[in-house]
Amino acid sequence: MSKEKIADKLYIVLRVLYLVAFVLLFIPALNPARISDLIPKTASVFTCGTSYGTLTQNFARAFNKGWVGTLTLQMVFGGCLCIIIGFAAAGAGGCMSLGSNKLKKIGVIPSVLGGILAFAGCMMINWAATDIKGTPKPDRIVPMDPQNLTFYIVLCVAMVVLSVVIFFCLPKTEKGEKCYIETKFQLFLLLLPFLALCIVFAYLPLLGWRYAFFDYKSGDTLSMDNFVGLKWFTFLFENEATRADLVRVMRNTLAMSGLGLATSWCSMAFAILLCEIKNLKFRRFVQTFTTIPNFISWVLVYAVAFAIFSTDGFVSSMLINSGAIETGTNYLMDNSHMWIKMLAWGMWKGLGWNAIIYIAAISGIDQQLYEAASIDGAGRFQKMWNITVPSLIPTFMTLLIMAIAGILSNGMDQYLVFETPYNTDTITVLDLYVYKLGINGGRVPLATVVGMFKSVISVVLLFGANKVSKAVRGESIM
Amino acid sequence: MAMTKQEKLDRKAEQKYEQTHQRWYRMTAGDWVFEIINHAFFIIFTLLCIFPFYYIFINTISDNDLVRKGAINFIPKGIHIQNYVSMFNVNDVGTALMVTVGRTIFGTVLMVLASAFVGYLVTKQDMWCKKIWYRCLVITMYFNAGLIPWYLNMSMLGLTNSFWAYIIPGIVAPYNIILVKTYIESIPGELEESAKIDGASYMTIFVKIIWPLSKPILATIAIFGAVGNWNSFTDSLILMPDAPQLHTLQHKLYTYLNAASNLKNMMNSGAGTISGAAATNVLNAKTIKYTISMVTVLPILMVYPFMQRYFEKGIMLGAVKG
Repeated sequence: MSKEKIADKLYIVLRVLYLVAFVLLFIPALNPARISDLIPKTASVFTCGTSYGTLTQNFARAFNKGWVGTLTLQMVFGGCLCIIIGFAAAGAGGCMSLGSNKLKKIGVIPSVLGGILAFAGCMMINWAATDIKGTPKPDRIVPMDPQNLTFYIVLCVAMVVLSVVIFFCLPKTEKGEKCYIETKFQLFLLLLPFLALCIVFAYLPLLGWRYAFFDYKSGDTLSMDNFVGLKWFTFLFENEATRADLVRVMRNTLAMSGLGLATSWCSMAFAILLCEIKNLKFRRFVQTFTTIPNFISWVLVYAVAFAIFSTDGFVSSMLINSGAIETGTNYLMDNSHMWIKMLAWGMWKGLGWNAIIYIAAISGIDQQLYEAASIDGAGRFQKMWNITVPSLIPTFMTLLIMAIAGILSNGMDQYLVFETPYNTDTITVLDLYVYKLGINGGRVPLATVVGMFKSVISVVLLFGANKVSKAVRGESIM
Repeated sequence: MAMTKQEKLDRKAEQKYEQTHQRWYRMTAGDWVFEIINHAFFIIFTLLCIFPFYYIFINTISDNDLVRKGAINFIPKGIHIQNYVSMFNVNDVGTALMVTVGRTIFGTVLMVLASAFVGYLVTKQDMWCKKIWYRCLVITMYFNAGLIPWYLNMSMLGLTNSFWAYIIPGIVAPYNIILVKTYIESIPGELEESAKIDGASYMTIFVKIIWPLSKPILATIAIFGAVGNWNSFTDSLILMPDAPQLHTLQHKLYTYLNAASNLKNMMNSGAGTISGAAATNVLNAKTIKYTISMVTVLPILMVYPFMQRYFEKGIMLGAVKG
């Protein structure tokens, strides 16, 4: 094998190491900087190296009493920072390795330096870990062996060694050789930071699904001790209370989504009727003001509901002024017909906006159709029913299929703000249930399980809807 | 606001539509009934949409005693702006406003810059493994891990109780990237090619050609992004449990609408700041709630009519696919 080929192979290994290093920075469970129980369990190397405040949030007392020197924690902070910078430099060297031979050679320098810096960071953490063991109050500080530090050290050493080996495998640079990166890699490197963001915020959360298999309470670490397998999956269906909850929640979710689906023709009717109005200025006016509610948040919708329907709101004060009632009533506390009310608020917010897409479709209908129909003696309603409506059906079907795909995702904002102790039973939808279970109730594994079911079913529904759309309309929606 | 050429054409087409319709059409008695009912329906629906805001507004500028008694229903009486002044003197509403304005501006600017740049990059066919990366971005629109994993991820990244949680996750917005990409693809390729022949780099082409030409779509996504940022409430609610100084305006409004204890504190501090100046217009529970509502909704009410065409463009773009 030629030297270049060896270098190419080694580069693959090296780039994988960089990726591993990058991911490691964000995983708190493998954080070597956790040398004391007082360092938050949720802190990763990245957090420890960028936020001194988070790192030392529990140490105020320990510092005051002199149980731990500030220097120790500063060493941890500095060590983490060194690891971050070191890995970043090494990564930059890795990016340069995509370039020409000369650039590859130059790229070895940051790789090696970064590896050494990260190694120094590991040593600093190691020093701090030994130092903290000498604390006069081991029961309070709970010093711990820095887990995975060896792994980090091996990683750093491997990076340095590989880079050096590669350096000697690469062919000599010729005089006058230029530094450049091929266009295809240049473009890729420009995209890379955004891809990284996307991975961190959209793909990394998938790791959170593992919490479904552990007996986890907020702040715990995951270890084989609390691995429970599929316990929470069976618990969800075997436990009386959660099963009842789930049935109730699913009923609400499906009922409210179903009502939404059943009334989805309303925005089409709204658009058709609006287009029957001849006065353009009036039409414009109506269109402007009926779309505004779509752009205010559900909290503001609740504020509006509050202003109109609460004890001293508009309706109450009108009724009192007219002498119909003595004292104001808070209609928001009333829990009857909750599904219909939620539907009504949804319509108030969305009707005008949803009509816009139909209005645009109507203005795209060929005028000759109407003229021909008029000559044939068709009246206004006949034209509406026989020309406008059939022309809008394709748009309607697409939106309907998409709505069916989203049947489990009603969002939680609306139901969260309108929830009161009296209407919890009829208003809690799946999204809100997950929120209350996981965030408010702290039952993370169970909420994760419910969320997993929701995610999976939603994706299946979406692909199903896509298939249906392809079969019915010959057009995919994705 | 000057009309674009396209809009003028639209207007003309609309007028033609009206004329043809009228030419072929004679009003019968049934038509009259329909016209009246139809107009009445839209007038009522529009009123339903406007009146609540009007009602809240007149209650914030009217005499607070009358407001408390529920006497202000249609016409404002005893107009004053003391409520707004005291509201801004109350610390936490001012802070919430700053936080919300800050995240709206930063978040939107970064999102638009990133969407424009990434949207441009993914139109480049010669990128290494372009298809894979583009798919990676697009797929994230259709699935998500769920609320709890999202929350755990954010806390793992140290983004709880931190202002960055409002900004960083929103930078890469796949949907907007697709919109920009589709738009850029509609720009004639010759422009870019001629620049390339003249020796322009990708960055130069992006800055000098693509960015200026795609301003209409960028305006649209900017406005949607800004409204989304302004309205976001869940992230503040879930991610900032221990940092009340980072709560957004929407979250504050939610807190005030719900909690009576907060109101008492606020009334005290609010009354303190205006003591003597306007003793008659002491804040009460109702006016506080209404005033915060108004502060929260006013920017949208004021911006919306002018930006309506961008909003409408936005929904029409919704039909595009990855």
